[in-house]
Amino acid sequence: MARTQATISLTSADITGDPLNLTKTTLLTKAGTDTGLDEFTGITKRIYPAAVTDTVIAADADYASTTVAHKVYIANDTPDNLTSYITIELEGNILLGRLYPGDFCFLPWAGTLDIMVTTVDPSVCINYGVFSQSVAS
Amino acid sequence: MATITASLTLSSPDLTSDALNLNTSTTLTKAGTSTGLSQSTGIARKTTEATATVTLFDGADYTDNMAGKIYIKNTSSTATEFITIIMNSEAIGRLYAGDWAFLPYGADADTNDFKYTPSVSTALTVEYALFYE
Repeated sequence: MARTQATISLTSADITGDPLNLTKTTLLTKAGTDTGLDEFTGITKRIYPAAVTDTVIAADADYASTTVAHKVYIANDTPDNLTSYITIELEGNILLGRLYPGDFCFLPWAGTLDIMVTTVDPSVCINYGVFSQSVAS
Repeated sequence: MATITASLTLSSPDLTSDALNLNTSTTLTKAGTSTGLSQSTGIARKTTEATATVTLFDGADYTDNMAGKIYIKNTSSTATEFITIIMNSEAIGRLYAGDWAFLPYGADADTNDFKYTPSVSTALTVEYALFYE
C-alpha cells in the first residue's frame, strides 16, 4: 500500500518572545488503520480566465464519506497580486477562510460536503489535490 | 512586524507511478498585504476526557475576513482515535492519530466558530494554534 507523508514546519523568530520552531510529519492512512491512503487526484493546476463563484474542486458524490481520512491540499499560486484571494468553502456556504497569493492549506475532509472555491479576480491560479481512500473504513 | 513561515512537504514514492515530491512555503501575512500576521495564541494543548464538542476559536473574537491560519494536530497514538473538525455545526473532516491540519480561518461574523469533537471519552490531547491579524 502506498506510503504518503505530509510534513509541516512553522517557524518564527519574533511572533512572540518564545521563538516558534515546530515540525510535524504524519503518514496519510485510512481511517482508524495503519494502511496508507490508496487514491490521489494528482495536483491539479487551474488558471481561471474570469472570477468564479462556488466552483466545486472536490465533489462529495465522487468519494467515500464519513469514516474516512481524506486530505485536501489547496494553494493560491497567483503571482504578482497581493489581493487576489481565494475563498474556501464547504457546500452550504460554510466558510473556512481565504487563501491569499502564496498561501496553502492542508485539511481533513469527510467527503460529505463539496469543497468550493470563489475567486475575486481573473487569472487566479489554484493548485489542489485530494488524497483519499477508495472505501470507507 | 513578525515573520512567520509555514512550509509544507507532501511526498510519496509509490502513490502513483510518478513519485510525489511537493514542497511549498509561504510567509503568513495580513489580508491583501505583505505585512506579517501580528498575533498568535502560541502552540497550545488541550486534553479532554469526554466526547463533548470543544470550541477552540470563537469567530466573534477576531476580525472578519482576516487571513488567519489554524494549525491543529491529534496527538493520540491510537489509530482508531480521532477528532472531528467542525466549522459552526458542519463537520469538515476527521483527524486520526498523528494527523495534523493547517487551514485558513476567516472568522467571518460571530457564527464562524472553530470546534472539534473527540471520538473517545478517555484522555485525548489536541495541539493547536491560531495565527491572526
